Amino acid sequence: MPIKWVLHWQPNAGTTVNSQILTEVSQCVETINGVKEGRWKATLSFYKPMLREQANPMEFPRDFLGISLPEQPNKYYFVIRGQRLVVEAESTIQSIMEKLQSYKTRVALNFEGFQYQLGDFQLRVGKVVPIHSENLRGIVMEMEYLPISSWERSHKIMAEFFDLWQEALSKRSLPGHFVHIEPNFSEFGLSDQYSSQHTAAQYASIMAQLIATVQSAQAMRNN
Amino acid sequence: MECVVQGIIETQHVEALEILLQGLCGVHRERLRIHELCLKSGPNLGLVSSEVRLLCDLEQPEPTWTVRHIGGSMRGAAAEQVSVLVRTKVESKISKNALRLFYALGYKLDHELLRVGFAFHFFRGAHITVTVSSINKMLKLHSTDEAVPVTPGIQLVEVTAPASSENYTEVAAAVSSFCEYLAPLLHLSKPGVSTGVVATAAAAAASLMSDGGGATL
Repeated sequence: MPIKWVLHWQPNAGTTVNSQILTEVSQCVETINGVKEGRWKATLSFYKPMLREQANPMEFPRDFLGISLPEQPNKYYFVIRGQRLVVEAESTIQSIMEKLQSYKTRVALNFEGFQYQLGDFQLRVGKVVPIHSENLRGIVMEMEYLPISSWERSHKIMAEFFDLWQEALSKRSLPGHFVHIEPNFSEFGLSDQYSSQHTAAQYASIMAQLIATVQSAQAMRNN
Repeated sequence: MECVVQGIIETQHVEALEILLQGLCGVHRERLRIHELCLKSGPNLGLVSSEVRLLCDLEQPEPTWTVRHIGGSMRGAAAEQVSVLVRTKVESKISKNALRLFYALGYKLDHELLRVGFAFHFFRGAHITVTVSSINKMLKLHSTDEAVPVTPGIQLVEVTAPASSENYTEVAAAVSSFCEYLAPLLHLSKPGVSTGVVATAAAAAASLMSDGGGATL
């Protein structure tokens, strides 16, 4: 499977993400000759335990995520980032989780937007919005390099392409920039050969960042 | 959903049952070696307690894992009228760290067992699976190499077929009519309704063995 980097938009201090930024980012992909191919959508759910009164919530994971990815429509991924755990299952696992009535969805987010082809690269730019809402919570970008599936071997070309992309985007003087966080895949028990589990781990990492960004923005507003 | 019936057979007659099944199904048996872990929700997790099974297929070159949830069985007059149990069943293949996930979520190991035997999969009015297996318990945690039979000399036979709320009566009829062919060797009934071994089993087995051996009388 081709490797990909999942990037998220980090707004400058004091600014928030807005749809104008999303529009400009998409335009920028087209100005570097990205060819629009179609839509894509991933979905991510935060789960919370359904506890009885005497339960101690600290005993249960607070960062339990479920992710469905467009490249694996029949699969579903669970991530508990704090425990460095990624699990791949068939999508029927969602029905099992419902029947167990031990965890329920706290919040579900869609990652959706357009896909672009650029030589051997595939780029996906998407907005992060809660399901049943249009409130923009963030911007994500997938940078996929089709010829290579080794994380290590692809690192140089990915870093170079990322620099080029940052440079192209910098001309628009947007109030923020894309950030790449590289999870330590070996801690998750994942090998150098890229898989959708690597993608799930990356999404869990950017979610942690998005939450931190939203929380710090709220803290600034409250001060 | 699935339709299911169960029965038991003495190990000495299993070979005869296999010959009968082979003849009825026209397919070859598959070997079965499944490590089954039954997990239950911890005391404070979930509004009601819940149970889930992890099945590790040890027959595969690289063991594969499946999560299985068996839900409540159908009740009421319609359920009484069919001779098989109709219940919800959902399965999902899952990566090998499934046990770690469920422990992390607050599930505890209730018990584990090892099923060893064989299975036939075939179509006969419905996609029927017949499994014949001995149930073994582990003397030490997860030590499938040191498992001992729970009921020495007795094996469990299970006939299942996937069904839906639209077609379960047809599937139940297909399962029931198939079970009639096995009647000389064993009696199959809804799980939980124990019917014991069949008195005619020894004679039926002897007859099958002589036929199966190609002996001409």
